[in-house]
Amino acid sequence: MTGPPDSLRVGIVCPYSFDVPGGVQNHVLGLARYLRHAGHRPCVLAPGELGPATEGLDAKNFVNVEFASVGAAMPVRYNGSVARVNFGPLSAARVRRWLSKGKFDILHIHEPITPSISLLALWAAEQPVVATFHAATPRSRSMQLAGGVLRGAIEKIDAGIAVSESARNVVVQHLGRDAVVIPNGIEFDDFADRRQLRGDHPRLIFLGRLDEPRKGLDVLLAAVPLIMKTWPDLEVIVAGQGSRPLPEWCRSLGMISAESKIALLGSADVFVAPHLARESFGIVLLEAMASGVPIVASELPSFLDVLASRRDEGRLGEVFTAGDPGALAASVLRVLAQPNPLRTVRAQEAARRYDWSAVGSTVVAVYRAALSTVPAQPAETSIR
Amino acid sequence: MITVQILALVIIVALIIGWHVTWLATRVDRANVRAERTWAALDAALVRRAQRALELVLMPGIDPATALLVSEAATAALEPNLSRHDRERAESDLSHVLDAVGPLLPTSYNRLESERARASICRRLHNDAVATALSLRRRYTVRILQLAGRAAEPRPFEMADGQCAHSDGWSPAVGEAGQTVIVPAAEN
Repeated sequence: MTGPPDSLRVGIVCPYSFDVPGGVQNHVLGLARYLRHAGHRPCVLAPGELGPATEGLDAKNFVNVEFASVGAAMPVRYNGSVARVNFGPLSAARVRRWLSKGKFDILHIHEPITPSISLLALWAAEQPVVATFHAATPRSRSMQLAGGVLRGAIEKIDAGIAVSESARNVVVQHLGRDAVVIPNGIEFDDFADRRQLRGDHPRLIFLGRLDEPRKGLDVLLAAVPLIMKTWPDLEVIVAGQGSRPLPEWCRSLGMISAESKIALLGSADVFVAPHLARESFGIVLLEAMASGVPIVASELPSFLDVLASRRDEGRLGEVFTAGDPGALAASVLRVLAQPNPLRTVRAQEAARRYDWSAVGSTVVAVYRAALSTVPAQPAETSIR
Repeated sequence: MITVQILALVIIVALIIGWHVTWLATRVDRANVRAERTWAALDAALVRRAQRALELVLMPGIDPATALLVSEAATAALEPNLSRHDRERAESDLSHVLDAVGPLLPTSYNRLESERARASICRRLHNDAVATALSLRRRYTVRILQLAGRAAEPRPFEMADGQCAHSDGWSPAVGEAGQTVIVPAAEN
């Protein structure tokens, strides 16, 4: 048996287009950037046109990372939001060509069980495959199919990664596979030490799509009047894609750049994540924690994972029953009335563990483990 | 005419069954191979972990009691020809010992930590492969046609990974945040 070469050529497949921002896309970019810094050679395959100027995506993620596109993606309503995906024989042929030209040591496929280039890549893969499962919610129809047609594809995965315990449970229960839990990463240093305390009125912020019900903005807007009874000068700022009618006390910044997001988080007195369901991973929560903002979040499994303290010190933020404006208001009032700096510091330290330096090195450890279970690839190592 | 149709139908059905059986056999074979290879990887990772633990004994300034504790546990895990059950117990014991002495070690000593993480990941991959192989073997078709051949039935490797594993909340498997630690490439 030969040892894997030190620098890995990693083919990363992202099912969703970079034209639109999203958790999976950001994760893929962060991973590619980490791999590049750690001396590996990532190559990202994704649908759609990729421009570094794409709004909401951090331009520095694109430095020295190879990209390939499978062409324009089709918008499809999927999993409660509009996903832009690829399918069909043309996409399949492009994926196959990318695979054969790439000479990858290892293939890292994200969300393999979606009707997209991820599934096509898994189908065609001859390299060792690491697959990351992002969604914490079983997609019943595709999972049922998984019992039949998709079984063979699922068995081709050499190592599974789940971004949270909840996502892992879905993999175990619905796919009969297991996965190593490795969360999404954040650029911790970008967020830390950006705190700008302001003496005036308290500022509450919300980040996320404004027009997507599952992001829970409606719950927040219903709760704000209750909070304003105690804090009449509360400033409410929302930032995210989409448009919708908003009350006059709510300021909308629209889509904001990564830099503005960091500044906004640094200036906030309370960060509210009122999501209703289907949040695969609380990355916004982690970024807020890294910024040192007190957190109020709905009681979703993935949020609880992130907010769980390892040493029984209680949660790292306030949680409330998802969809309950009264409970949300009560949580915000508790945070504003009794700031808990110790908890905020603990939350910040917890968020540090999610820095890409730690997350990325564990992903590479999984690559190495997966490679140690397959014979050396003759294409790259040319030993034997 | 009817005979021709029946014959055609029989051939089609036979082809479908044949294709299905071939497909199933491929999957069974792949699952068996994966279970074997992941075991080899886990075995190697566990040996490396015990070797790294033994290196602790050579560390300057380590007290003799800790050195003895670690070396006994590591030597027991490295013992050749252990039964499966004894190996599982010895490896678990080593995990517990390493957990106990972990806080006493200098933080710079993360070579051992990365081997522990590697072993933990390898174990998960192996048990995952075993589960896939077993669920295929339990299938009626696979049993009747003996598609698994003479390959021995794989078994999951049950042991305590210790605190390095992702048991409670997320903790980075390799190194601490802020310092990039690349897992050393497999030796030999």
